[in-house]
Parts: sequence; C-alpha cells; structure tokens
Amino acid sequence: MNKVLKSDVAQFPLNAIGQSILRKEDPKLLTGRGRYLADITLPGMLHAAFVRSPFAHAKITHIDVAAAAAMDGVELVWTGTDTQRFTQGVRAGQNCDNYVHTTQPAMAHEIVHFVGETVAIVVAASRRLAEDAAELIDIDYEELPVVADIAEANEASAIANAEIPDNIIHHNVRVAHDVDDTFANAALVVEDVFYNNRVSASPMETRGCVVNHEWTTGLITFWSATQIPGFLRTMLANFLQIPEHTIEVITPQVGGGFGQKAHVHVEELVICLCARELSQPISWVEDRQENLLSATHAKHQINTMAIAVDNDGRFLALKNHATTDSGAYNCFPWSASIESKIGVGTCTGVYKIPLVRGESLEVATNKCLIGAYRGVGWSAGQTAREILIDRAARELKLSPFEIRRRNVIRTEDFPYTNATDLRIHEGTFLETIDVLERMVDYENFKQRQLDARAVGKYIGLGLSIFHELGGIGTRTNSYFGNPVTTYDSSTVRVDPTGTVTVTTALASSGQGLPTTLAQIAADALGVSVDKVVIRAESTANAYGLGTFASRAAVFGAGSIGRAADVLRTKIKQIAGHMLEVSPEDIVLENDTVHVAGVPARGMSMAEVAGAIYFAESAHPENFDPTLEATATFDPADNILANGGHAAIVEVDIETGIVRIEKVFAVEDCGQMINPMIVEGQMRGGIAQAIGATMLEELVHDENGQLVTTTFMDYLLPSAVDVPDIEIEHLTTPSDLVPGGIKGLGESAMISAPAAVAGAVNDALACLGVSITRGAITPSRIFEALQNAQT
Amino acid sequence: MKRVAEDELIQVRTTVNGRSYTFSTEARVNLADALRYELGLLGTKVGCEHGVCGACTILVDGKSARACLMLGVQAEGRDISTIEGWATGKELNPLQESFRRHHALQCGFCTSGFLATATELLRENPTPTREEVRERISGNLCRCTGYETIVDAICDPEVAAFARGEQSA
Repeated sequence: MNKVLKSDVAQFPLNAIGQSILRKEDPKLLTGRGRYLADITLPGMLHAAFVRSPFAHAKITHIDVAAAAAMDGVELVWTGTDTQRFTQGVRAGQNCDNYVHTTQPAMAHEIVHFVGETVAIVVAASRRLAEDAAELIDIDYEELPVVADIAEANEASAIANAEIPDNIIHHNVRVAHDVDDTFANAALVVEDVFYNNRVSASPMETRGCVVNHEWTTGLITFWSATQIPGFLRTMLANFLQIPEHTIEVITPQVGGGFGQKAHVHVEELVICLCARELSQPISWVEDRQENLLSATHAKHQINTMAIAVDNDGRFLALKNHATTDSGAYNCFPWSASIESKIGVGTCTGVYKIPLVRGESLEVATNKCLIGAYRGVGWSAGQTAREILIDRAARELKLSPFEIRRRNVIRTEDFPYTNATDLRIHEGTFLETIDVLERMVDYENFKQRQLDARAVGKYIGLGLSIFHELGGIGTRTNSYFGNPVTTYDSSTVRVDPTGTVTVTTALASSGQGLPTTLAQIAADALGVSVDKVVIRAESTANAYGLGTFASRAAVFGAGSIGRAADVLRTKIKQIAGHMLEVSPEDIVLENDTVHVAGVPARGMSMAEVAGAIYFAESAHPENFDPTLEATATFDPADNILANGGHAAIVEVDIETGIVRIEKVFAVEDCGQMINPMIVEGQMRGGIAQAIGATMLEELVHDENGQLVTTTFMDYLLPSAVDVPDIEIEHLTTPSDLVPGGIKGLGESAMISAPAAVAGAVNDALACLGVSITRGAITPSRIFEALQNAQT
Repeated sequence: MKRVAEDELIQVRTTVNGRSYTFSTEARVNLADALRYELGLLGTKVGCEHGVCGACTILVDGKSARACLMLGVQAEGRDISTIEGWATGKELNPLQESFRRHHALQCGFCTSGFLATATELLRENPTPTREEVRERISGNLCRCTGYETIVDAICDPEVAAFARGEQSA
C-alpha cells in the first residue's frame, strides 16, 4: 500500500492558472457592498470602548468605576480584576530551550507594562456613550521605572516585566563558526550598526470583533477581522476555557491585515467574555489611535553586522548580532522571536558565505509588543547586509551587480547547504542580477550619477537580491527553531449540478483568494473558474491556520489539489463505467468528462455529478458516491521563492528630501496563479517598503510614551511618495506544490527596503555620508550631512 | 445660531444619491457615522477619523469632502453622493470598471474614497496627466496597491471618454 503523505503534490493540467483573471470580489467592493467588521449590526448590539494605560510602567493603586457604571446606557464596566476571574490572558513564547514565556493579562491588573495596554472596558448602547463613560473611570497609578529602549534594558537598572529576568526573553546562537582569524586577515572588512525603526502595519481597516453569545444554546458567534480564523477559534477555546465546538469564527470582508491581524489579541478575549456575561452582541471597532498604540508593532531591530571580503570581492565570513526591542510581552502565536531570531536564520541570504557567526537576542522594553508584519524578521538584516555589500563594492571599485554576481549561489552549486544549514535546491539568483542590471541600464546610470554630481545633484542606486522562505509549514518553522506543526485543510465538493464548492480556512484580507483559489480548483477539476466558489468566511467550513507568511497560494494549491485528486478518481471511475472505457482513459477538461482525445465521447460534469448523486444504476460495483473530500497539505521541504529590487533616488542635500525616481523589481515565485495579482502584491509591498524606510516611525519618548499616535505623525506613503514600478518575472516552478506555485506576498517588504536605503547611501557616499538608522527622514539626512562635514 | 442640548436630537433633511432622507441625530455625530448608521449607507468607510486617510471621502454638492470631518447635521439641505450611487443598477460605471480592469483595489477599504476623489478630478479634467492624478489622490491612503494601478485606472482612455460625456448611455 502506498503511503499517503500530506506533502503529496497533485498533478493536473494548467489552464486558468497563469491567467490574469479579473477578481470575483471586485464588483462588490466597487459598489460599497462589501461588508466589513464595522458594517455588522445585530439586533440589540452593544458597543465597547477600552480604557488604556497612559503610563509605560506603573502600578494600578486604585480604580473607581462607580460613576461610569451608573451612567444611563452603560451595561457593563469591567477591570482587569474582573477578566482575571475567567482567564489568565494570553500566554506566549516558543517551545524551545531557554525561552521566557510571558502572560499578557486580558486587561492589566496590578501592573501596566506599556502605554496603550488594556485596563478597563465599558460596554454601552453606543460607542459614544461607552467613550463618555470610560472618561468617568477614575484610576490612580504609581509610576515605576521605565525601560524605554534596549540600551536601558541592558543596563538592567530597571525590569520591564517581572516575568522576564534581566529583560532577556531569548538568546539564540544560530551558528558559531570560528570567524575571528578570517576577519583579522581579510583584505576588507565592512561593518556597521543598523537601527531598524519600529513601524506599524497599519491596515486601512483597524482591528475589531463582534461577538454574540446565545445563552440558550451556549453557541458563540465571533466575527473578527482576522487572518487566522481557525486558529483564533482554537485559542479562544484554550485561553477562555470555552468548548471549541461552541464557537464559530466568521471572517467578514477584511480591510488589509499584513500580519497585524494574524495574532490573538487580548481585546478579543475581553469582548468574548463580556458578550458571554451579558448574552447580548457586542461590537468593538478600534479607532486609529488605539491601533497605533496597542495593535502589534513591528521590525524594531538593531543589527550589528560585519562581512569579511577578499580582494576579488568574495565574501569570506559574516558576523551578525541582531537584537529585537520586543516590547513588554510575547505576541501570540509568534512570540518576540518573529524578528531577529528569524532574521539571523537567513542572514547570508542568496550568497555563498562559508563562515558565519549569527546570534539573536530578544530584549523586553515597556512598549507595545512586537508582532508580525509582512516580511517579518527578514527586512532589517537584509537591509544591513545589502548596504554593506554596496559599501564593499564601492571600496573595491566593483559594480554592485558584479560583486553580487561573484558571490551568489549558482545553478551549478545546487543543492547548496549554506552556513545557517538551509538547503537551497533552486533559484534564479544570478539571472535576477543580470535582469536588474539590464532594467536599470547601469552604464547609463553611472554616467547620469557623475553628470548629476557635476551640477550639485546627488542620485544613488540601491540593489537588493533576496530569497524568501514562503509557504511556511512544519519544515520551515522547524528550520527557524520553532518546533510547531502546521495544519491546513480544504474541502472540495462537486455539487449535484457539477459546480464546485471549496471550503477552506484561508481567509482573504485583500489578496484575491476568492479568485486565485478558484483558479486552482478550476484546473484541478477541469472546470471553468465561474463554476467554482471559495467559501472561507466561517470556521464552520474547514480548519486551518490561516493566511500569512506567503502561504495561502501554497497551502490552497496543496490542499485543494489533494482533495480534488480524490474526486477526480471517482469521477473517472464512474465516467469510465458509463462510457465503457478504462478510468485511466478519462480526462476532465472544459467542464466535461470525456475519453482522452475524443471530446465527443463524454458528458458534462453536471451529468456525471448528477449520476453520482442521484442514479445508483450508473454506479460501478462497490462505488462510494461521496463527492466531497477534505485534504490537508504541508510541504515536504522549505519552499524558496526569490527575486531582487533596485531603486534610484535623488537626495536634495539642502533640504534632505529624497525623491524616489524609480523602483525595479524581479520576482521568481514559480508558476504564477494570476500575474495581475502577483504584480499587485509586488507593488503594494514596495509602497510599504518605501514607507517603512523613508517615512514611518513609531517614536517613543524617554518615558516610553508613544508620540506618534495619528496619521499626522505616523506618515504612511501617499501616491506622490511611490513611483511607477518596473517589473519582470522569472519562473522556476516548485516541485513541492501543485502547479509549481510558490508564495510571494512578503517578498517586497523583505527586500525593497534594502534597495531604497541602499540608494540613499549610494547617493551620499561621495560626501562621506552613510545612513544606518531608519526612518531616513530629511532631518536624519541633514544630521548625517552635518556630521560628515565636522 | 440655534442652541441645542448635548443629547438633543436634531432633525436633518438631505439628499443622498438623488433620494431625499430625513433623519435625527445628535449634534456630535459625524457625517460618516450618520450616513453609515442613520441611513444604512455602509459603503463609506472610516479609516482614521481625523481627516488624513481619505477613506471616508464622499461628494457634497459635487465637491469631495471628508465625511469624518463634517457633522451629520451639516448634511442639511446638501446634495450628497456616495459609492452606493455610482453604478447604474448592476452595471458598474466606467471608472469602477476601470478600477477592476487595472487591479486598482485589493482589500477595498479605501476604494470608495478614491472613487470619490477621482470622480471630482475627472469632472474638472477628463484627461489629467499621471502627475496631476498622483497629486490629487495624495490625500487618499491605500495600503495595498502601491497606487500605480489606481493612477492607471483613472488615466484609462475609456474613463476619459466617460468623463467627457462622449460615451452614449
């Protein structure tokens, strides 16, 4: 008997896959008919407002809720003491050695650990009333010493969170080769300290949930703007001790997530408990200030990095020490290790660097917790490494393309196991460099750069070549030292009329999954895309971890492919029987089931399905007529997509203002499902990269007070900040995923920040200026120029 | 000026998408919330409530306006146009079609605001340059698309034809 593996790759001809099919969901969204979380209204629905901590670290000495509770229209006022009766909150960490787990209470009781932490909740007839009442809650705090940044955390004069000894959540030495001699004897060493700014994913729709508890049946309906409905359901059950089968999580239209909505947030626990207490539906829709204060922050790392290089520009060794300013708690489920631990795991990138010392450190501070945001821990280290490579190229008078060509892993090297123990068996790294060089027209650029300098203008080119561990499953988690098993399933049903209903937990937050997953299912069953519907909006449908980490395309193709395989076999069996040929001679294509090469000898999918459901006389002997199948998927190995970015910028050295002239992008995500959507992901990610590099920064003062709490202080890129982007594709299909598909959603936020930051550095290198601290604002450029002159 | 008590309801008569409405609201309720929860026109989205993101942009007497920066009572006597009024029955208008064709939306949360801003621009100038479009839509934030496809959609020749009123109905 053949062993059935959940990594098995279904085979089917590609037809819809590869086509830029217009999105099924667009007409709804273009006419205002999409229903997002805040659009849900239920009979008797109440509204919640949270009271949040105004201090970064303080003891709660007294809370008086009497005035708030007495207000007309107020149904419930709770503090942390109330929620503590039902749940300890969110316990988070990684199940590996020497990991400090933390417990974030549903609402703070006794101690607050960051500005914005939940302290109390008011549930009232309207959000307005709830906010009015929240203002009447009287709270006394006794301020405690604040750990406002990593430097203070190291001095250990204060402790950010008593659960975390010495402010260290985790220290991990990923690889520890002896590199000292190599560095001592190298022709060139490039090194620096890189400060990656703290940012917010800032989806245009903030977080929120609506919860209804029906006490007569015990059933809880939980609408959440989440990327992980299935996992959220399990964790609500775990953290709140509610039987899982009584909970249904429904994902309405979601207005962007980018990782921020791939967490279990404490607010979700609180709303669920309040709804159960009142047995009335409660809506919580956070405002933008709450989002900037309390929804997970991201990317806050300090990377000390050095590369030893020989005279020919070959990389000999790399040192990387990456520290994450982690905030006061581990986020769930990723933990604080979502940043530097993951980043160090790919610190050599696409290059052959034989010797590496790489270690990561997660440090606790009195700030909002660090969580997942597109590109997670990779962005900061990628930026550090690529800027250093550019610097080495300038020192050695090599072009940035040539130095990378001399070091990338090439086809003849596959399979190549790198210094961090990643086995790389495919990728178009060298080709990416060549394509980018042509797109940039490097010879022309060099001349333009010289001509510009002659008239006092400073233009620069930045380059970044990447690979991406996408489609993250059990193997990839294990590679990153996080021993967890992933589970993702789809159920595929061919309906009696021959249409196809796919249910999955791969909820969309704007990525186009209702269309792309339909393209996969259509090809897997030989039907047209309009015969397929994707139902991902409820946990009543299917179980899975959800949509994040460039994984929905991979897990969708894998699980839908495997489930459809079961149905294909049955359809061929009955069609063969009806047509009196061997099942092996039957093909499914163009909405029909027919003898291979003889379309006339066949019937429509509707006829076959109808016979399976309603015509026992047509069944072969011992035929099981079930025409739906559920399958999981988990790739057999790491899946590597790759590509590169180049950016050209002009820096005005009088004002410090940077104009991004052009960005070029190359992506190899294997077989594209829908090229239009692939390019949409690339462009959107590049815009976020420009924001994170040049504009966006969550700034805390020395008391741990967040001072960027509106979009007037926290600057998202607008249409005048993002240029037109030139895109080319390379195609290395994966043999681990049906159709050869790979994921790509994260890629631009992994790599494009390095290209943009590198371009600014290249523009100013001739003035002896380097910029290693983001965001690269005009004032930071001005400061760097001033320092260079003194 | 008429004075009202804090929680006193004020009656407002207005026109939205060609239809007359009368609703009662507290003075402090902003126009976005009034449209959404008093009139049930949920297509107008609220992204920041402080006038920066542009998601709530609507047309008031033909001019773009941030519904989060106006009060519901300011709808009195106005002629308001929102996303619910821009398709004809089940037929998208050419600007909406163009957004779809050019993949100018992903999560869709900012889309109604962009359509409002673009509609106003195209009425003034059916054939704006890419730079003019970028400048005009710079008050609307989109976190998904990177803007280029939105510019493509607004600059599409079929949209220009529509905007010039040259297309037969």
